[in-house]
Amino acid sequence: MAEQEERKPIYELRDVVKKRASDSYSFSLRVPSLRIFPGEKIALIGESGCGKSTLLDMLAFVLQPTSCEEFVFAAGDEPEDISAAWRRSRRNRLARLRRHHLGYVMQTGGLLPYLTVRENMNLSRRILGMKKDDTVDELAEELGLSRHLGKLPSELSTGERQRVAIGRALAHRPSIVIADEPTASVDPFAAEKIMALFIEMVEQRNITVIVASHAWRHIKQLGLRRLAHHTRRSKDGHAAETVVSG
Amino acid sequence: MALRQSLGLATRDYFHEWQISVCFVLALAAVLGPMMVLFGLKFGIVGSMIEELREDPAKREIRPVGSGRYDRAWIESLRKRDDVIFIVPRVRSIAATLEVQSDRANRILPLEVIPSAQGDPLLPPGSAAPKGLGEVVLSASAARKLQVSVGDGVDGSLSRRFQGRKERVHLPLTVVGVAPPRSFSRDGLFASVALSEALEDFRDGRAVPALEWEGEAAEGERHYTGFRLYARSIYDVAGLEEGFERSGIEVRTKAADIETVRRMDRTLSAIYWSIAVIGLAGFSLSLGASLWANVDRKRKELSVLRLVGFRTGDIVWFPVVQSLYTAVLGWALACAIYLAAAWSINLMLAPQLEAAQEVCRLLPRHYLIALGLTLGASVLAAVLAGIRAARVEPSEGLREI
Ligand SMILES: Nc1ncnc2c1ncn2[C@@H]1O[C@H](COP(=O)(O)OP(=O)(O)OP(=O)(O)O)[C@@H](O)[C@H]1O
Ligand SMILES: [Mg+2]
Repeated sequence: MAEQEERKPIYELRDVVKKRASDSYSFSLRVPSLRIFPGEKIALIGESGCGKSTLLDMLAFVLQPTSCEEFVFAAGDEPEDISAAWRRSRRNRLARLRRHHLGYVMQTGGLLPYLTVRENMNLSRRILGMKKDDTVDELAEELGLSRHLGKLPSELSTGERQRVAIGRALAHRPSIVIADEPTASVDPFAAEKIMALFIEMVEQRNITVIVASHAWRHIKQLGLRRLAHHTRRSKDGHAAETVVSG
Repeated sequence: MALRQSLGLATRDYFHEWQISVCFVLALAAVLGPMMVLFGLKFGIVGSMIEELREDPAKREIRPVGSGRYDRAWIESLRKRDDVIFIVPRVRSIAATLEVQSDRANRILPLEVIPSAQGDPLLPPGSAAPKGLGEVVLSASAARKLQVSVGDGVDGSLSRRFQGRKERVHLPLTVVGVAPPRSFSRDGLFASVALSEALEDFRDGRAVPALEWEGEAAEGERHYTGFRLYARSIYDVAGLEEGFERSGIEVRTKAADIETVRRMDRTLSAIYWSIAVIGLAGFSLSLGASLWANVDRKRKELSVLRLVGFRTGDIVWFPVVQSLYTAVLGWALACAIYLAAAWSINLMLAPQLEAAQEVCRLLPRHYLIALGLTLGASVLAAVLAGIRAARVEPSEGLREI
């Protein structure tokens, strides 16, 4: 713990709130305090609808918080004030942070249907203008995708597509990988294998990882830090609030 | 860098989804092609009518009705006007004939003498005009009947009853030109004004010293009974006609024909433009709607691009590039549709047309205008749709079902 305190956290959030309301239901996610340090492996476990995707999207700078006291991201040389960037609509600045520091594995899909597996995995590297090397081939080897590199995503099974998405999130060596239920759409047996492989790969590369999942049992043996949260529902069932901290 | 990526990805996507792209291209060409045919027809029909008017000097002629009394100074004052390109005085028409004989054809042909000069619109530009008392230009039919061509000599003769005797004189003439059949269809002879005056003098019993024809001495100033006048352009005819009528000279012109064509041009233009405006509006709407719908359809993929870090500007390029492809391909297809339609229309109507006339015709710049309009409309629609796509929060697009 003391060792961690010396290092600067990658994420530092204080009193970040996202409110979402539809006609008869309002949901709010509150993060009184959250710090994530480099190299940490974070798990966000909770039932469906408790706000996992909401939190991850905010951490990936694709969802604007309703209000926030402090939201600092420090993967690069300089800490970035995310709340200020949102307030001033500096979207291209946020895009730049995503480009350089983030990998995102979506619950399903997220691959470009018109690019081959190889090109999909290489997408982030290409945007960053990174040199061609064997990174993609090595990743494909590890993910068991070598045979599929020339195919289009539509020719793959769901599990294979998720592995391609994992490959793409890792290929440009980001500081953080965020995965929103990466194995939700595959069968439990395959899910466990893919999750184990994923965690192993980020560990090897010393990448900070934040994974959301609705089942703790798949991942409890993988040594992740579980974020504490609880959801309160109003008696009439029209409102819910989730508070996350860690 | 990212911009180039964006262009490359947009291209890949466009051709990956070729079925849908083909539909967009077809939809565009289906509106643009017929519009081009419509404009080609309007331009071709009215264009060839106007051209015909312009090229036919007879349409610019202003001829006095009956005979008047005009002096040389009056003719000169008309010549100085800007809207008059050619004028020569005419002598009495009864005196303006000549009997002509050639060695080859054994017949005597009575010819109508037409006073002419350099710049006569009935003679092809750049060809010789008759000069002096010995040169003539024959009409095509006269030359054919006399079996003569440029450079040949013919014999002209005319007679009079003078002091109770019948007299006939001959004068040698050189054919310096043959007028094209369409400018004068009867048997005629273009002569200098001096020669036509000499013929009249002889008939009137006056002397023509230059040709050694005897008679009474000329007295007083010469008066002409008419003139040959051509307006500078078809657009000057109506104005000149009005001027003559105002000064009490009744003239006959083709102003009515010209006005008919011009009115037709205006009417056709009005019809065309109303159709074109409606068509263009429909075209922009259909193009805009399809591009807009396309961007909507692509929202998830565009969100993925934003998730991996494309800037807003790069995202906007994506639909723009695709709409440029649609615009250019659709335009090319529309041109092909137009060319096929124009070819068959022209072929179908060829028997009713003079050579080289086309009912359906476009100039290169019309193709370019069509391309410009298409590009403009599609880029505008795509930019608007693209900006809208870029405005949506990426997480919204990502979670789309
Ligand atoms: N765009 C939206 N507008 C309004 N409410 C929303 C919107 N997106 C999500 N919500 C609400 O926010 C709550 C949290 O949604 P979220 O997607 O974060 O849940 P989750 O924990 O990721 O669920 P799952 O495990 O099913 O993916 C849900 O109750 C949902 O109804
Ligand atoms: Mg979710």
